[in-house]
Amino acid sequence: MELFVQSVISGVLLGGLYAAIGVGLSLVFGIMGLTNIAHGSFMILGSFFVMVFSRQLAGSIVLALAVTLAVMAAVGALTQGALINRVLDKGAEPALLVTFGIAIVVQNILQLIFGADFKSISSPFASVNVVSTKWVVISGEYLVNFLISAALIFILHFIIRKTWLGRSIRAASGNVTAAELMGVNTKRTYIYAMCLALVSGSVGGMLVGQTFGFYSYSGMSYLIIAFGVVVIGGMGSIVGTLIGGVILGVAQLLGAYFFGPGMQIFIGYLTLLVILTLKPRGLLSSMVRK
Amino acid sequence: MDANALMAIDGLSAHYGDFQALYDVSMRFPKGKIISIIGSNGAGKSTLLNSVMGIVKPSAGKVCFAGKDVTGKRTSAIVANGITMSPEGSSVFEDMSVHENLLMGAYLPEARKRKDSLLARAYEIFPALKEKEKQLATFLSGGQRQMLAIGRALMSDPKLLICDEISLGLAPVVVGDIYSRILDVNESGVTVVLVEQEVKRSLEYSDYGYVLVKGRVVMEGETKDLSEEEVKEAYFGTGKYA
Amino acid sequence: MGQRFWNIKTLCIVAAVAVLAFLPRYGSDYAVNIGILVFLYMSLGQMWNLLGGFAGLASLGQQIFVGLGGYTLALVTQEYGMGIAASFGIAVGVSVVFAYVISFPIFKMSGVYFTIGSWIVSEAILVFFRNWKFVHYDAGYNITAAYKIPMGALYLGALAIGVGSIALVYAVLRSKMGLALMAMRDNESAAEVRGVRLYRTKLFCFLISSAYTAVTGVVLYLNIAYVKPGAAFSIDWTVCMVFIAVIGGLGTIEGPIIGAVIYVILRQYLYNFPGISMIILGSVAVAIILLAPKGIMGAIRGRFGVELFSVRRRVDERLE
Repeated sequence: MELFVQSVISGVLLGGLYAAIGVGLSLVFGIMGLTNIAHGSFMILGSFFVMVFSRQLAGSIVLALAVTLAVMAAVGALTQGALINRVLDKGAEPALLVTFGIAIVVQNILQLIFGADFKSISSPFASVNVVSTKWVVISGEYLVNFLISAALIFILHFIIRKTWLGRSIRAASGNVTAAELMGVNTKRTYIYAMCLALVSGSVGGMLVGQTFGFYSYSGMSYLIIAFGVVVIGGMGSIVGTLIGGVILGVAQLLGAYFFGPGMQIFIGYLTLLVILTLKPRGLLSSMVRK
Repeated sequence: MDANALMAIDGLSAHYGDFQALYDVSMRFPKGKIISIIGSNGAGKSTLLNSVMGIVKPSAGKVCFAGKDVTGKRTSAIVANGITMSPEGSSVFEDMSVHENLLMGAYLPEARKRKDSLLARAYEIFPALKEKEKQLATFLSGGQRQMLAIGRALMSDPKLLICDEISLGLAPVVVGDIYSRILDVNESGVTVVLVEQEVKRSLEYSDYGYVLVKGRVVMEGETKDLSEEEVKEAYFGTGKYA
Repeated sequence: MGQRFWNIKTLCIVAAVAVLAFLPRYGSDYAVNIGILVFLYMSLGQMWNLLGGFAGLASLGQQIFVGLGGYTLALVTQEYGMGIAASFGIAVGVSVVFAYVISFPIFKMSGVYFTIGSWIVSEAILVFFRNWKFVHYDAGYNITAAYKIPMGALYLGALAIGVGSIALVYAVLRSKMGLALMAMRDNESAAEVRGVRLYRTKLFCFLISSAYTAVTGVVLYLNIAYVKPGAAFSIDWTVCMVFIAVIGGLGTIEGPIIGAVIYVILRQYLYNFPGISMIILGSVAVAIILLAPKGIMGAIRGRFGVELFSVRRRVDERLE
């Protein structure tokens, strides 16, 4: 029983982190209908940046993250402006393949520079337990992950709902021509959206780097988690990713609880497939779009 | 009326693939006037507007606004000069509230600074919108959508307002109401272009009219000089236009 | 374009296949090896193209069937001591049954959800195999039966697979189902009206493509001779299928042929640049898509109107 409660609590906390991984993917899909295969690789690129910068900046993780976010925003602007914007109106496959190509390039550049070794980013909360009773243990690191992720989701939600940038993004996602008629340069809006996606992905990348570690090719395995989160939460729904993440996290850890740790990932996938079969457009698709 | 035209269209042609939808169209929209462009379905009205607004790239010709060449520019760049269009079928942002839709109209920097007063004016012109302020646009009726589309267009504080097929699918009472609002807008100094299928009402409300048939201007003139019969003959290709 | 022209075309194709068949006798081992890879990858590309290019099923899960082919070969020869030939039949059986079973959940999903769903299925299979005692967990198999096969025989097998894949796609497209597929590709909404038939057509394509991918997988693993879950069910298989189909030109039969030649040769050449080879390959893919979004065949057709395998003929004939 204790272990069951523990699994659920850890699952919820893990789910927060998953949401941070998935939210950028959801955003980009919701806005420009793009399935960004490179999302996971960009996330890991963020992990590497945080790692490198924190070494350079006397171990300050906050400063390192700040620099990383700026750099990743630039990477996003470049990717969208120079590559993806050119193929978006040519159909789904070309855009998807471009992101595929980008993913491969990013992974292999990382491989070239950093090799295939497993890396990690040190966390000040790594060995702190916030709650430690006979019943449950809540690790400081998991809790901080969850809080940062939740904050990230709500900031993004606020930007999309309440700001001029957010409104222009929603306008462009709903009706490109009408948005242009309002004076919104939709191509530029897509650039901003990609920047937001990579910035949020990098936050996820940092948390993943602290909690699980990473290497140059980790992107693809996190991409599928991101897909899972987004599929449950509904493509394009920002708050949905938080719910999707929590469902996936809990499903995985309960899977491990009932069937053994080897089955954690498998049960996660099975849950996704069952949800997709019952609700082919995501669990929350009927409730929200944004 | 040529010299001080707010917008001048010269020799505009447009193609969709091999199909030519506009032939050498020239028009003048004088400042402060209401101009109507009349034509049936498929006459090229939408193509004309889309070419003017940069949604379709014209294959030949020139569009000048306030002396500035805007031909083939990006739509958002054209709009930034002070032109706005209320699109056909009153396409509003479905999952935004009425309030947010109006705000989107004031997206450009100049309008954004004065969004509160512009918002007040829009609600003053269309009080029905004020009541629905918080509702999602997708729940509005046809007439309310049309009002929202025009109100949103006005939020940019335009010099030129183009209305595409306001009367399409609306009850005559509602259309009359919207038209009288447009007169108010015109009174405040905005040049208005009405694109319509309906001959009578267009002539009644505008100062100058163009008749578009199969992508060509077949008739134009001050509306006081145009008889409804003659316009209809041109429109349907009967009588001496057969 | 009369009957006569068509005959000349057929003759050329037969002659080309005949010439290719004699390559092992005169070509170097290196050339033969390249040939094997081109034919097999072309077959994978054709099968993905049948799904993604013609049937509107952009799957990211076709690696399942490469893996099933490889594992069938390993189990049939290593565990049950049967001949290699048996594994072809069993691979077809296993993959058709498996494809049919997973079609129930994943055919409910459409568009991007199908794409993601198919990938998740394949990742689930990967994890399952790693935890499955029957297939030796993550250790996999050495396929010793494959060691004895001479290269020339493998080459001919690969050639047969390659030619067979073209013939198969061609036959599907010229069939009644093909007509529906073409209509769907050109105008999704018009074909949508006949919902039940559309579903059946898509399912049929999925089963055929999956089975033939598995058969190709058997031959691929005769060449590799070692099977492990991580590699057998790797998304990399599908990455290269998509690369080949899209670079060559989606929705054309010629596309995957061109795509496979480019892919294999580029890859072989890039072995000389370890470390940056994948970077270059990825960049080339992106560059080609930017320059020719409809692939190389799409660009050629757009400019010259050339078609080697005209599957449209039938539509024209009916109209006349």
